[in-house]
Amino acid sequence: MAKSVALDIVTPDRLFYRGDVELVIVRTLNGDEGFMANHLWACKLLSTGELWIQEKGSKDFRVAAISGGFIDIKEKFTIFTDAAEWPEEIDVDRARRSGAAAEERLKTRRAPVGGEDAEALSEAKTDVRKSRTRVNVAGGGARRKR
Amino acid sequence: MAGSSMRDIKRRVRSVTNIEHITNAMKLVSASKLRRAKAKYEKTGEYFHFVTESIEDIFNNNSDIPVKYLAGSREIKNRCYVVITSGRGLCGSFNSNIIRLAEAEMRQDPNPPRLVAVGAKGRDYFKKRGYDLRAEYLDQPESIAFVEARKISGPIIRMFDEGEIDEVVMFHTAFVSTLEQKARRVRLLPFEIKRDPEILPMEKQVEYEPSAAEVFNYLVPKYVEIMIFNAVVESAVCEHAARRMAMESATDNANGMIADLTLFYNRARQAAITSEITEIVSGADALR
Repeated sequence: MAKSVALDIVTPDRLFYRGDVELVIVRTLNGDEGFMANHLWACKLLSTGELWIQEKGSKDFRVAAISGGFIDIKEKFTIFTDAAEWPEEIDVDRARRSGAAAEERLKTRRAPVGGEDAEALSEAKTDVRKSRTRVNVAGGGARRKR
Repeated sequence: MAGSSMRDIKRRVRSVTNIEHITNAMKLVSASKLRRAKAKYEKTGEYFHFVTESIEDIFNNNSDIPVKYLAGSREIKNRCYVVITSGRGLCGSFNSNIIRLAEAEMRQDPNPPRLVAVGAKGRDYFKKRGYDLRAEYLDQPESIAFVEARKISGPIIRMFDEGEIDEVVMFHTAFVSTLEQKARRVRLLPFEIKRDPEILPMEKQVEYEPSAAEVFNYLVPKYVEIMIFNAVVESAVCEHAARRMAMESATDNANGMIADLTLFYNRARQAAITSEITEIVSGADALR
């Protein structure tokens, strides 16, 4: 059993998770990255994606969808994210619909001019990513089999 | 005379009673909304310090912080004011307090103020007086989600990044207790922070990704977002508290009026009976 570390996952409107974990995997801007206890102190920005945590003494991973934020690695781990959801909280139909709508927006807006247009484009891209993450997480996560 | 006045008083009693029923119902509704809004408010502010602490950590441990968001990095000329009011009225002096505070400061600003109005009441007021409204948000504040706070802060951050504005000031109502709310002024940007010699640098090296500067540039707008979100949630609590108070005193006043009117009614009735008796007695006297 690996050494465990206290993890807090915080969103603006609630404490999403608090507990001891052995391993936490998040998607940073450079790709998925796993952190274990005694990691070098770090502060990294996150992108929209899946979050995997292996709780203390457990072999299985718990998966959640998070969007953006940052992770603070010190003696304790803290993840601050704009939104976080467990699989059972996700409305798959709604996620699919909003993903389809965002893809539609991407198609109709091919050439951004800048300013607000570029913002709308990146927003649509984020929405597509969010929708994919949600659908995947609701199905138990895309990358790993439990 | 007595008969018609009695009917008038009766009619007034009935209409005041109806109003009293309505204000009493609104009071009960506000009380339950207040309870819900307060529960949400207590949860939202709780973890805010994570973000400010992280900002301070980065600031105190790195020398290559971009100065864009920091106080003193540029001369303050143009200001943007964020005014958070309610969407509905009948809440006492809630909206006028915040509007008065905001307008007093805007009048003194030598440069044309830019405005972001949250809540229909403030929007209407400033629009009517020809202020430069850059953005408005009219959804009910108690149902605001964090994503929507981002829609408010997005244009503000963009104006700040492009150099159109140099300072962002927010006016909102702060919750002191259910009986007391205060209009408050908060400066959101530039971010005021001082290198504190008391805080020792952390004993371990921290690895920032992509870079300390980028993490910092992410955190400061996030700070603004969360500040606005918290302010809207807090303002919703104050709105319900203010409305509950206003409706409570309206109900009390209506009850007072009903008591007075009932007294007048009884007096008028007694006077009518007395004059009728006098008439009968004098009629009987005349017959004898």
